Amino acid sequence: MSYVRSLIASIRVGWSRDFGWTNPVLGFSLKTVAPIASTMTALTILYIGFKNGASITSAQFPFQLGYIVIGATLYAHISAYSWVPTLAIAEGKWTFVFPQVYVSTKSSPPYLAGRCLASFASSTVTSIASLAVAVVISLFLFGVAIPLVVTPLSISLFGVALIVNIFASMRLGFLLGAYAILASKFEWALPTYVSGLLMVFSEALFPVSSLPYPFSDIGNVLPFTEFIRASRAVLLQGSVGSYFYYLGTEFYRRPHPSRPRAFRLQVRRKESEKTGSARPQSSVTFLN
Amino acid sequence: MNPRASIWLKTVYARTWVRTKSIYGEPLWVAVNVGFPFFTSLALSLLYSSAGLKSGIGFAFLGGVMVSFWGNVLWSMASQFNWDKQQGLFELYITSPAPISAILIGMSLGGILGTAPSAITLAIIGWILFAPPANPMWPLVAVTFALTLASLYAMGMALSSLYLVYGREADSVNEALHEPVSFLSGVYFPASLAFPAVLQAIALVIPLAVGMDALQRTLLSLNSSGIMDLTLVYRDILLLAVMGITLLFAASKALKILEEKGRRAGTIAVRLR
Repeated sequence: MSYVRSLIASIRVGWSRDFGWTNPVLGFSLKTVAPIASTMTALTILYIGFKNGASITSAQFPFQLGYIVIGATLYAHISAYSWVPTLAIAEGKWTFVFPQVYVSTKSSPPYLAGRCLASFASSTVTSIASLAVAVVISLFLFGVAIPLVVTPLSISLFGVALIVNIFASMRLGFLLGAYAILASKFEWALPTYVSGLLMVFSEALFPVSSLPYPFSDIGNVLPFTEFIRASRAVLLQGSVGSYFYYLGTEFYRRPHPSRPRAFRLQVRRKESEKTGSARPQSSVTFLN
Repeated sequence: MNPRASIWLKTVYARTWVRTKSIYGEPLWVAVNVGFPFFTSLALSLLYSSAGLKSGIGFAFLGGVMVSFWGNVLWSMASQFNWDKQQGLFELYITSPAPISAILIGMSLGGILGTAPSAITLAIIGWILFAPPANPMWPLVAVTFALTLASLYAMGMALSSLYLVYGREADSVNEALHEPVSFLSGVYFPASLAFPAVLQAIALVIPLAVGMDALQRTLLSLNSSGIMDLTLVYRDILLLAVMGITLLFAASKALKILEEKGRRAGTIAVRLR
């Protein structure tokens, strides 16, 4: 029970950190503007390609727009909350919050999981809002209605996919967090690298099959690729069978949700370096 | 030399040196800074490619180069005084005889020198990987590039005075500004081919938009004819020059007001909302 209590408290800390400085409407609006803009950038490039290139026919164009609008908003969603553990640790080291969390009874996993879940909730709202706004802007800017399948069933299945993806994203977040515990150099940069790699390999903007071998295989083993494929299957094609196939693959590839091995190893390593014992007794500094 | 001019120049030199040293003292920073713009440019290049427009790849990499500078303006210019305030450095600036404007100019020069290696690396990688078709007019490219950086960093100076009075809002505003300004400026694509005239006219108040338009026209071309409209390039150059001077003047005025306020009332240094 106390684990759940820590988790809930951490979720509240995450929300307070993200929105405590302003009112929730302004906070959510500011967080929604960036994913809308990045999605529109990708859509605009496709539009220019459609107008000036020769690969996309008029019949394909609305579906291609749908392909990108779903991929780009979900990519923004994943990258928004999977780097939160790194942020919580790196920022926490600077503000001395994380060492306090670290020495507390329940230690860091519930804290980081809670921060991740808080960000998941806010990022879900901003991603869905940015998807809706991008669809409307596309209608005005390109004169094309994106043929999304919006039914109670498709929305429910999409919601399930978002929840299933939490495990994979949280694992990525914990892996990056492990580096942030170990190092005090470039820890801010690592998530941007991973986020950039995901943009290429998670099939956010183009099929990974268009990448040369063996790079195309990298995309096919990532759970995020399957998550985006499952969401496209249900929101763009209305294909429930494909949805369950992709989601099943994604779930199969998910790791243990809360304590990836690398994270545990780094925590243990820090503990033994600083105290020579299994648990720190008084205080730990992470500033190398 | 006039003692005030001497102090001003020494301050510029000192701040430039510190910022440059912080990058060149750790060469890994170049690799770190090149990461995100590279992957974004790569992904968008592959998108251009899959949309059947390989000639657009140059726009993706030129965008990556300019985004490096735009990110530097937002995070290392506009926010810098706010962070300095939180760390207690800003009090030292205020109480020292060093002019704030010289500190900002030094920060800009250091920022340009520090960002240049990653921007050049990105351009070279893009060239090696894709060899995008280019149609450069180098003298115009050089003038446009210099004026774009000047007006962008002048905007960074103006924003730094604005951010100084804010606390945590500054980071959130930066995050909210980065992508939308890049999109409206047509950083990764030619805005003239995608946006309606009204949107293009609105975007002309953003230095990055004007600079990108001129750079894209002088460096790249989507059609094989390679004919460019020089009138529009000269219009952009004129606009950039006017923007640079106006923003520099606005930044200097705003900082003078805040500096005076800070010295008289002590409000800047102690207020953290």
